[in-house]
Amino acid sequence: MDERQEELAALNALHMLEGDEQRSLDGACVSDKELRALNTELEQVAVELARLVTPVEPPADMKKRIRAKIRSRGGPGAFGVSRGVIVGAAGWALAAGLAVASVWLWNERSKLIEQHAAAVRAIAAAVPASSPAEERKEARSLEDELKSIRDDYEKKQAALNTEIESLRIRETEAQTRITQLTAEADSLKQQNAQTQMEITILQSTVWEYRRSEMIVVWDRLRRQGVLMLDKMPRVEAGKDYQLWVVDTQKPDPVSAGVVTVDDKGVVKTQFKPVEAVDKAAKFALSVEKKGGVPKKEGPVVFIGP
Amino acid sequence: MSQPELNDEELLQRAGRRDVRAFEQLYDRLAPRLHGLLRQMLHDEREAEEVLQDSFVQLWDRAPSFDPARSQAFTWAAMIFRHKAIDRMRMLGRRNRLVESAALEHSVLDAGSDAAADAELETSERAAAVREALRELPKDQRQLIEFAFLKGLTHHVLAESLNLPLGTVKTHIRLGLLRLCDLLKGGR
Repeated sequence: MDERQEELAALNALHMLEGDEQRSLDGACVSDKELRALNTELEQVAVELARLVTPVEPPADMKKRIRAKIRSRGGPGAFGVSRGVIVGAAGWALAAGLAVASVWLWNERSKLIEQHAAAVRAIAAAVPASSPAEERKEARSLEDELKSIRDDYEKKQAALNTEIESLRIRETEAQTRITQLTAEADSLKQQNAQTQMEITILQSTVWEYRRSEMIVVWDRLRRQGVLMLDKMPRVEAGKDYQLWVVDTQKPDPVSAGVVTVDDKGVVKTQFKPVEAVDKAAKFALSVEKKGGVPKKEGPVVFIGP
Repeated sequence: MSQPELNDEELLQRAGRRDVRAFEQLYDRLAPRLHGLLRQMLHDEREAEEVLQDSFVQLWDRAPSFDPARSQAFTWAAMIFRHKAIDRMRMLGRRNRLVESAALEHSVLDAGSDAAADAELETSERAAAVREALRELPKDQRQLIEFAFLKGLTHHVLAESLNLPLGTVKTHIRLGLLRLCDLLKGGR
């Protein structure tokens, strides 16, 4: 550091430089740590002179005017409720129905505030003292950084608001769908309760009926069913197949009617026992006199389950 | 709730944390002297009030970045106010000329007279130290520094206004400030 630079630093401390001299000093300070320190030290010393200025009371309403001006600007530094708090509160209100998103939003805001504070501290630590030019530069840098953080935060908040709105719409749609499905399920349950079908497949132990098939679908609630027979041998003249329902509560099987198969030995027919059957334990098919009998007499060819 | 026990640095730090009461208390302490500084620099009561108002708004804005390890609250604030005043002078085109012919006589700090020191100054050790250090300077150096500090003029204008060679102005200011710096650090 030479005498010329010392001179520039001294003049700068009193804000006497302009134009090329100011730029020359600023440039030299960037690369010369010693000059930078002297510049800062002299500026601190110079401003100490303000302690010796004779005080003059400002107008009585000055404090009120300053307060009003700070308030009127709004923004993050306004008196009263800070902008961050307002935004935070809005975030909470928006996310009232979606607590997780709201907490995330709040955490993001806290993180951003911490990041900004850390950035300010880091800058302060990195630059032990500042010249006016450095201070202006630092102020601009901090303002830019703050603006960038605020913009970033507002973008994130806008994105979150959109997402929250989208989630709300989807939630409403899902609720509607759930209501529909619940109604359908209730209806099906009701139908299922009303039907309560039992299906029984029977096979015969009688040699002639070894290839035959008998299926009974029994509706317990309606106490009626459907009988399907296939590959049944033709019965001899004067005889008929007769279906029986065995109820454990009754001493004898209850007749469910005469069954007539076609030429191919096939039949599908609805049946209903002649007496009410509370609990159909078994079904049986026997060969009876033509037209059927009230009480089983002939041989049983199918029984089950 | 009042905070009478807090020093200026603590009040400024609280203001940085958006404590309005602390900021207003700091205003009560600093405003008279800073207002006096602005009146000396601007020679216009209305301008001085406007700059005072703008500067306190800026002080509030910048308070979060104040670091007591780097500077005292008063000097930190005074730097902001002086910058604002010089910006205003530049805007008004006053930086390159003297406002009034009698400016020189009025541009004197209270370093020369014990009687000028008011009660508040008497209680301020730092102000007493600055006053004492300023008295130690040769008269030419002291007057030039005081004038430069209070007028916010460029050295070219100052040399022309005082009818002094530019080199003399620069040398006096350099030597004077370096000496002041030594004295305030305890040097002799």
